Amino acid sequence: MVADRPPFEDLYRAYLGRIYAYVRAQVASSADAEDITAQVFMNAYQAYARFEARNTTPAAWLFRIARNATLDHFRAHGRRERLRRTIEHQPVAEEDPSGVAEERIQYRALLGQVAQLPERQRDAISLRHSGLSFEEVGTLLKCSEDAAKMLYHRAVKALKEAVEKETA
Amino acid sequence: MSEPEDLELEGLQRQLDDAFETTRPRAGFEDELWTRMQARRPAVTRLRDAWMGLLQGIREVPALPLAAVAAVLVVVLGAGVLVFSGLGHGGAGSTAAGRESALQPAPLSAAGAYGRLPSPVLAPRTAGPNSVTAPTADYAGPVALTWTGKLVLNISTAPVFRYQEPSSIDADQFATSLGAILVSRPAGFLGSYQTTDLSVRVRGTIQSPSSEPTFILLPIASVGAIDAAGGPADLALVFLAEHSLAPSWQYTSAAVVSGDVSKVTLLRQFGVTGYGYANLVDGSGEPYGIEVDLKGGLPTGATGPLPLNLDSAPYPIISADEAVRSALASAPAGGAGTGVPTATLTTAELVYTLVVAGDHSFYEPSILFSGTFTVSGTKYVKRVLVPAVDPSQRSS
Repeated sequence: MVADRPPFEDLYRAYLGRIYAYVRAQVASSADAEDITAQVFMNAYQAYARFEARNTTPAAWLFRIARNATLDHFRAHGRRERLRRTIEHQPVAEEDPSGVAEERIQYRALLGQVAQLPERQRDAISLRHSGLSFEEVGTLLKCSEDAAKMLYHRAVKALKEAVEKETA
Repeated sequence: MSEPEDLELEGLQRQLDDAFETTRPRAGFEDELWTRMQARRPAVTRLRDAWMGLLQGIREVPALPLAAVAAVLVVVLGAGVLVFSGLGHGGAGSTAAGRESALQPAPLSAAGAYGRLPSPVLAPRTAGPNSVTAPTADYAGPVALTWTGKLVLNISTAPVFRYQEPSSIDADQFATSLGAILVSRPAGFLGSYQTTDLSVRVRGTIQSPSSEPTFILLPIASVGAIDAAGGPADLALVFLAEHSLAPSWQYTSAAVVSGDVSKVTLLRQFGVTGYGYANLVDGSGEPYGIEVDLKGGLPTGATGPLPLNLDSAPYPIISADEAVRSALASAPAGGAGTGVPTATLTTAELVYTLVVAGDHSFYEPSILFSGTFTVSGTKYVKRVLVPAVDPSQRSS
């Protein structure tokens, strides 16, 4: 239903920042986040003709692509490497100007803590705080809305404990 | 869960909201990625989108012509009663507007930056199959002129565009971009090249009749059918895009169809702030651009302006009244009542004409007046071209 679909550029402009933030909370460097975000929108652009607005929201559709792209990234680069970086809390050498700029973002450390959570908890927090409803989070994580709420609340508690441990 | 813990969790959630809200890619990433995405789109997709944009653009085309000025050059063209040589009868035309990139302005220099400009020299083109508008024949005798139209020109300056004459190296680079290799440098051409299925020739500017640097494509092997729906204009666009020759400038398209043979012309336009788009016309006042010949849906040849970098500079132009006076003054002395037919000019528009000037040549604004008259039962078109650049800025 072409009539149901806004121009792709509208989606792109509206969601680029949110998708980037979601990806950035998963990976260790802004460079990786840019690469994955680019891949997300390339894939989405190619697939947009098949997007059916009556079946899902644009946000859920884009975040599904983003989630898959992030998982692909981990598969390609090795989860072990990701774990090493996060455990060592060594968010990659970001000496490029873009990385330096992002270093200034005051909540970077918090996102670093999010990145260390188990995958589903990390996803629940990232998706929820990227603006998705619990229903959309549940759909993406293949669980009910209530289960998504529960998962999210557990994730926030786990994050709180991790932050406290870090600052202790 | 205790109340203090609830409050702590709420505080953490607010921090998370802020963290996600303030995490954004570096400045410039958004536009950079969008550009990359556009560049990676298949040519057919880009053309389809461009075509949709063009169709939409038809509804937004600015109201027609207006404009004005001094010295005068005249051409009388007969729009006789129409026998169309070459492609025969039954042409079909269409118009469409151009691509996004066509709206990119040329690099702008200071006003009058090119000094005094040479004036256009008219050299009526012999009508023939190349024409996509009315077939024409010259009317040899003198014609008196009257003006009944309305010329509104709300601009006092218009850009003059300039290009540098390309070298054989430029021609080689163009051919390389098509995947063609140099075969020879025949007289009159910058180079002759070949791909596996195309013969490509490139020539420089021609003084008379004036013509800008041009490419000529001729298939030397059977070119496969073009995978595109639509009419000849769509096929022509896809063919050009497949060879990276889709125009980067604004255009309207016109097609002449006769049986399974068609000629599509993408008529070049120049953007003028405060006016809209002005056609590029040849010395006879005919709009022109890239031409693609098709037979049975397969391209049999294409020719058009060599892609060149243009820079531009604004120049003062004459007023509408001055333009009308100049147009009427171009008629021979004596006027009507002496057996000389009288042509009534009814329309006028801002156009651009090529002015050849050595190492650098110009696209200069002019006012094209048009009207009709009848002699011995035959209806003719009269066109008068008035250079629009103020006489103080012209060298001739």
